[in-house]
Formats: sequence, C-alpha cells, structure tokens
Amino acid sequence: MIEPRLVGIAQLAVAKAPEQLCCLGLGSCIAVFMYDGHLRMGGVVHALLPKAPDKMTADSETKYANTGIRRLQRELISRGVKKERIRVKLVGGAQMFPNIDLNMKDIGADNHHAARETLKELGILVVAEDVLGRHGRSAFFNLEDGHVLIKAAFSPDKTI
Amino acid sequence: MGDEDAGKVLEIIREFANVGSGNAATALAALLDMELVNEVTSCNMLPLSQVAQWLGGEQQVVAGVYTQLCGDLRSGVLVVLPEASAIMMLEHMTKEKVDLASLSAIQVSALREVGNICLCWYLVAVSRLIDTDLIPAPPDATVDLLGAVLDLPLATLGVSVDTVIAVHTVFKAYEGEFDGYFLLLPEQQMLKVILDKMGDSLK
Repeated sequence: MIEPRLVGIAQLAVAKAPEQLCCLGLGSCIAVFMYDGHLRMGGVVHALLPKAPDKMTADSETKYANTGIRRLQRELISRGVKKERIRVKLVGGAQMFPNIDLNMKDIGADNHHAARETLKELGILVVAEDVLGRHGRSAFFNLEDGHVLIKAAFSPDKTI
Repeated sequence: MGDEDAGKVLEIIREFANVGSGNAATALAALLDMELVNEVTSCNMLPLSQVAQWLGGEQQVVAGVYTQLCGDLRSGVLVVLPEASAIMMLEHMTKEKVDLASLSAIQVSALREVGNICLCWYLVAVSRLIDTDLIPAPPDATVDLLGAVLDLPLATLGVSVDTVIAVHTVFKAYEGEFDGYFLLLPEQQMLKVILDKMGDSLK
C-alpha cells in the first residue's frame, strides 16, 4: 500500500490515483476534498480560518477556506479536470473548546459555513460531509474511488 | 528577521517560558503530591503546518487544557498530557476509575482545574518578569488527537501569522510515570512586550 501524503495546516495538495492524501487531527480546521472520478484525480486544502483578509500574499491563500477552495479548483482545472465533474467532501469544523469565550465564537462552524458559501458561489456540489461536533478527525482520501476514510480518537471509523 | 536576530528572540522567549513553567510545575507538583522536574525549554519558529509534527505528531491522543489571556495582551497557553499521564492524574485527583473516551463532568472539571492552576502560576511568574498585568480567561479541556487540540490555539494567533513561535517545556516525575508539557504560543503584541521588557538584559 502507498503511504498517504500528509497535508498539514494551510497546505494544499493535488494527486492522482493510486496516490492517497491525508489530513491528520482535524479539529476546528476544515479539509475540503475535491474529486474528479473520470480522471481519478483530486486534491485537498486544509484551511485554518474561514475568510482571508483583504491584503495578503498568494502564499497565504491556502490558510483560508474561501481563498483555498478557489485555489484548489484552479489547480485542478489547470490539470485538465472539468469544473462540472468536481465533487466535494468536507471534513472537520469541530468545536474543540466550547467553553473558551473568544471574540471569534465557534471557529469550526465559521470554517464550515465559509466553505459551504464559497462552494455555492462556485457552483460545486458537496456530496458528503462529516463536520461540526466536538471531536477531532483524521481523514484519508483514496484517489482510486474518491472515498474518504475518517478516524476519530474514540469513535468507530467511517467512510464517506 | 535575520538569523542572528531570530536566535536572540528565541533565547529571550525561552527564558520567559522557563520562568513561567518552573513556577507552574511547582504548583502542579504540590497538587499531585509528587516531585516534578522541568526539562530544558525548547523554542522554535515554525510554519503552521509543522507545529504538530514538532510536538510528536498529529495522531497522538492527549489531554489538552487551553487558556487564553483576555487583557490587552493576548496569547494562549496549552497544558498537554499524554494519555497515560492524563489517566494517572485524574485517577489520583478524583479517586475513581477513568476512561478517557467518556469523561464525567467532574473529571473534565478536574482537568480544567489543573490547567487553571498551572496557567495562573505561570502568569504570576512571567508578569513580574515583564512588569505587566496578564489576565487569564477560564480554561477549557478536551481529550482528543493532538492535531485537533492545536487547531484553536493556532487559529487564535490571528489572520496575519504564517509562522508561529512555539515554546515547549516538558515536566516529568522523578520516577518517570508522569509527564506532559506546557506550550506557549505568544501572539505578536505579546511578543513585542516580552522583547521590549526583556531584550536589554540579554544584550
């Protein structure tokens, strides 16, 4: 079996079967998996925050859900993926410390909301998600079939 | 920032964290009724994607107690205990069997209290050092994958940060059956105050 390639916080990766991608220990971060079943090609962006500030460098795009999603779509299209064929799965957006009173409220939910909003604007279909709640998740993306295997610390594995 | 400057900054932050974690470990030792020693503080400047790996990997299950400062200066301090140490500590404190998969309300409360005590003693020591009042918010605790535990502390560092300074001090029981660490993630404004107040002494 091929060792999955790790995609850390604020990183983006594109891959083709038989490669695998993974995001480990997603808490409030959101991982946006895009897949084109025809080319068996896809990618993921591991976003830390919902929205990019007005001023920022292109290097930081992948740190935010709204700009990261657009960048991932561009990267896939530049490799021959057809926009209409892209299917999305979302993982993460949990609230790990619900009792911490922050100005930013529930950042996991904000990340999820921003991702959903951006995907809607782009007209990309979300086919499955495992999001919100109060636990972390590790997600393993199989480019052979587009399935995402989700492992948590204390609950059984599941596949979306 | 040049390499030489970066080295100096890390040196100052390390000193800052040493003082804080020394005091916190003393308080924790008293609470647990055991002798604890601190290891040398390590300090690093890392891209966001590398922090969890620097601490040993995203997939470890840990107990994390997180607190934020809520005054003018913002920063987060995280107390992290590996699975075995978290169980040992909670069993010692609550005198009941502990299953990390389903902690009772009182056990979560005990975890938060440990974080509270550590953090307050940490802040008492460092606020003297930089002659500034530091006000903690009540902490919260969770047991989960390290990567997931780190997300919120990293997210709260703000939108402008791509590289973080992470300061990590390991504490250990003499017998070796209990360990954990303090992780300080100073936000920009906090960093500036620390460097302003402590920079001279190291020149």
